[in-house]
Order: sequence, then structure tokens, then C-alpha cells
Amino acid sequence: MISAMQTYIKWVDQLNYRVGRVVMYGIFLMVAILLWSAITKIRFLELNPSLWTLEMAQFAMVGYYLLGGPYSIQLKANIRMDLFYGSWSDRKKAWFDAFTVLFLVFYLGVLLYGAIDSTVYSYEYKQRTPSAWRPLIWPVKAMMVAGIFLMLLQAVSEFFKDILKLRGATV
Amino acid sequence: MSYEMIALFMFASMMLMLATGQRVFGAIGAVASVSALLLWGTGSSDLPFSAVMKVMKWYPLLTLPMFIFMGYVLSESKIADDLYRMFHVWMGPVPGGLAIGTIGLMVLVSAMNGLSVAGMAIGATIALPELLRRGYDKRMVTGVVQAGSSLGILVPPSVVLVLYAMIARQPVGQLWLAGVFPGLMMAAMFIIYIAVRCRLQPHLGPVLPIEERTVPMAEKIRLLGAGILPVGIFAAMIVPFISGYTSLVESSAVGAMTAFLAAVVKRRMTREVFEVSVRQTLAISCMFMWIIVAALGFGAVFDGLGAVRAIDNLFTEQLGLNPWMILILMQLSFLLMGTFLDDTAMLVIVAPLYVPLVKVLGFDLIWYGVLYTITTQIAYMTPPFGYNLFLMRAMAPPEISLKDIYTSIIPFVMVMILALSLVMIFPQIALWLPQTIYAR
Repeated sequence: MISAMQTYIKWVDQLNYRVGRVVMYGIFLMVAILLWSAITKIRFLELNPSLWTLEMAQFAMVGYYLLGGPYSIQLKANIRMDLFYGSWSDRKKAWFDAFTVLFLVFYLGVLLYGAIDSTVYSYEYKQRTPSAWRPLIWPVKAMMVAGIFLMLLQAVSEFFKDILKLRGATV
Repeated sequence: MSYEMIALFMFASMMLMLATGQRVFGAIGAVASVSALLLWGTGSSDLPFSAVMKVMKWYPLLTLPMFIFMGYVLSESKIADDLYRMFHVWMGPVPGGLAIGTIGLMVLVSAMNGLSVAGMAIGATIALPELLRRGYDKRMVTGVVQAGSSLGILVPPSVVLVLYAMIARQPVGQLWLAGVFPGLMMAAMFIIYIAVRCRLQPHLGPVLPIEERTVPMAEKIRLLGAGILPVGIFAAMIVPFISGYTSLVESSAVGAMTAFLAAVVKRRMTREVFEVSVRQTLAISCMFMWIIVAALGFGAVFDGLGAVRAIDNLFTEQLGLNPWMILILMQLSFLLMGTFLDDTAMLVIVAPLYVPLVKVLGFDLIWYGVLYTITTQIAYMTPPFGYNLFLMRAMAPPEISLKDIYTSIIPFVMVMILALSLVMIFPQIALWLPQTIYAR
């Protein structure tokens, strides 16, 4: 049981780390799209203002924070209210986390359910966004499903880490 | 369940979840999901996800990663060193001059990024040690750095106002313009306070010794050049935006790129600076975005179930208060909450609760955005819970104790409360600029 958890943690953390390290550079993708959008507005270049930049930047942003989310958990960037938490021992923190992280898992589960539901709908009806560019929306939603799923995997990994800590095993 | 009970249930369970120390977004999101599933009925399981779609469609949110990136590039690459030198040489001969210069430095840093963290980092690592070495009173100095860095969220560009704009559905451009004069006014009030205090008690901020004061004029002029950097970055960002040439979001990308290029040109963009800026931008952006997604879900359920109406009803019908009294009560409760709630949590909890109420009461939401931001600034700084207090503790030299940090802010908080009252009594301080520019 313990070794199964250890294997899970190793694989999931490694996967999310890799994804996060790639997505991290997405900031430059967003900057590039937005700058291109600004450049096409310069009049004497006589370029047609792009139709796709606005939505493309939005899609990039969604990918950035959904796919990058698990890595931000690994970096311990997600703030907690540490009025009490901050002064607890590591063991007490692990005890509380082991329970409350299940709420996080539940929330991500509901998110995932909604995401899949919405993606299936968009795929079946070939839904497009109501803009001049009109891209198909389901690939973006599929990316959201992937990001939320990875987040769920990471939350479960955090749960296992707390269990292992309480059992005194190495993470 | 009655509306009042729903409001109470959701609010109480959220506070309880937050108190357990679970990640803020998880706590808020879980309460939203549970309430939706229990109380909503059909379609409830899709509610939390619809917040993800809302976040995607809300275009100005793209400014968030841009400004976070900018802030990290500026503070990590330390290109603000020269700026500090400029103020040091020019303001040094005046009593308390270095502290006044630090406020000036903070205003410039605020104009280049939208969070208070960068100002704090620059102030604590560059200005603080210098001022202490020159015999400035340590409480005076810590207060100055904290108060000054809080300007970051009021002087445009401001991330807090972007988040507020999203919740209140108000244009970000107008909100930013509304922050300009209150921000400058507050900076001026800090400066007056320091100048008067140091004139009365010169030992708090001694003038620089003669040998340090005699800097050749040519050197002084050369140092003024350092001021070009922030003005340049700010202009590159704001001028095309105000003239209607680029959108707000495009401007923020221009700003991020300019800051990045400035660091490259000044040869400060080392591998390490690059790694930290890029990684921290992802970490902090994800932290913010996930909280926003959870809070929007919470807000939709809370509002949809009629809890906002219950609170409005409680204040206006049952307690029979007039709008101004409610407004003042709101700001007071906000300050109170700020003393025990984490600031980001407060931002997402308080805004969805209060903004609809402010609207019902008939106040201007742009104006309230400024009040809201100033109150957040104060809450940032007041113990026991202030993000700034902890940052200060982490960055300040060891001779500054937690007690020094706590007591140092008292006079500055009083100045800020005065500024808050002024903006409340004279809304034109905030509204004149956006009204003038947008009236054209």
C-alpha cells in the first residue's frame, strides 16, 4: 500500500513538474500574441488587425493557469490562512491537511464533471465562439479538462503525502 | 432554508474551512460546490465550472500575469538601484530627506507594476539598509517602506483594481485613472508627515554628513537619468492606452516587454533572474487565478441563492440605516476583517459581498473601487494579519523586531485613514480625472 502510494506520488509529481516547466514559458507566448495584436494596429504597416489574437491570448491564459496549477501546488504558492495553521507542528498540519484536502479533491471533482459535461456538449454540437474568428471551442475545453484532471491528480498526491507523513514513511 | 440562513451557512462554513488552513481556493471552492449541490437543484454541478469559462472570457484578466511578470523582473534584476541613488543624492541634504526620497522611489516603482510586493522588495533590500546606516530611526524607516509600497495597488497599473473591476463589472481604465490622484495625494501626505516630524525631531532623520552631501553637479545631473527608466516604462505602457491606440491588455504586454528589455540592456537579466521571474510569475498567477475561479463560483452561488438580498434587507429594512452609515459601517467592518483575514482571501470574500450592496445603495462603483483599494491597503498593513508585515519580517535586517514593525505603521495608518475620509467626503479627488478623460 505504502509503496503503491510512493510510486503514485513519484509519477504524478514528475509528470506535473514536466508539464509545469513547459507551461511556465507560456508567459512569453501571451506577450508575443498581445504584441502582435498591437503591431497589426500600427497604421503605416498596413496590416489587417488580426481577428484571432484576442481569443488566442485568452486560450493561452487558460492553458497557462490550468495546466500550470499543479506545478504551483508543488511550489507551495497557493496561500493558506495561517492564523492557526502557521503555528502548528508538521504532524498536526499533516493531520488537518489529510482531511481538508479531501474537500479540495471534491471541488476539483465537481469542476472536472462540469468540464467534461461542457466539452461533450460543445463537441457534439460543433459549438463555435461567437466572434469574427469563430474557432471551434471543444479543443480549448478539452485542454481545460486535462488541466483540471492534472490538478486532481496532484491534490490526491498531496493527500498521499500527508498519509505517508503520518505513517512515518518517506515520501 | 431562508435567505438569511443560506447567507449564514455559506459564510460560516467558509470561515471554518479557511481556519483549518487548507489552500484558500480549495476552501472557497468546496463550500461553493457543496452549497450548489445541496441547495441549487438542476444544473448545479456545472456551476463551479462555469466560473472557468467566465474567467476565460474576461479579457482584462490577462493583465494579471503581465504585471506580475513585470514586478518580478523589476525587483529581481535590481534595476531600481540607480533610482535609489538618484533620490539619495538629491534628497539627502534635507532633514528626513532619504525617507522622503524613499516615498518618491515607491511612487515610481508603483507606476511600473501593479502589486505592492515589488515595492516592498525594493524598499526593504535597497532603501532600508541604507537609511539605517545613515542613522535614521528604525521605526520611521520600516513604516516608510511599508506605507510606500502599499501605493503599488493604488497608483496605476493596479492588480487589485483589475480584480475589483472584474467583480464590480466596471471598466478597468476608468478605475485606474481614478486611482491616480488619491495615490499621489496619499504619497504627498506621507511626505508632509515625514517632513514635519523630522523637522520637529531631527534625530529621527538626520541630514547626510557634509562629505557625502558634496556631490559634483555633473554627477547629480547624470543620476537624474535614472529617472528616465520608470518614466519610460510607464509612458510606453500608458500613452498608447490613453490615446486609444492599444487596448489595456496590449499595453500591459508592452510594459512587460519593456521592463524585460530594460533588464537585458542593463545586463541584469542573468540566468537566475530569468528563472526566478518566470517561475514565480507562473506560481503567483496560478495562485490568483485559481482563487478567482473559486471565488466566482462562490459568488455566483451566494448571489443566486439570494444571500446578497438578505444582507441588504438586514441593513436597510431591519436596522433602518441610511446609505452613508452603511457605507461607513462597511469600511469599518472591512478594516476589522483585515486584521484577522489574509488579504487575498479578504479581497475575494468582501468584494462579492459588498459590491452589489454598494450598487443597490446608489453609490458610484468607480469611486467605491478607490475606497475599497485604500481600505485594502490599510488592511494589508494592520496586524496581526498583514501580508506586508510578514514580507517585511522576511526581508528586513535582524535588528528590526516584529514589535518595531507593528508600531512603525501606526502614524502611517492614521494618515491613510485621513486620506480615505478625504476621498469619501470629496469624491471628485478620485472621479475628476476619469470623468475628464472619458468625457472627450
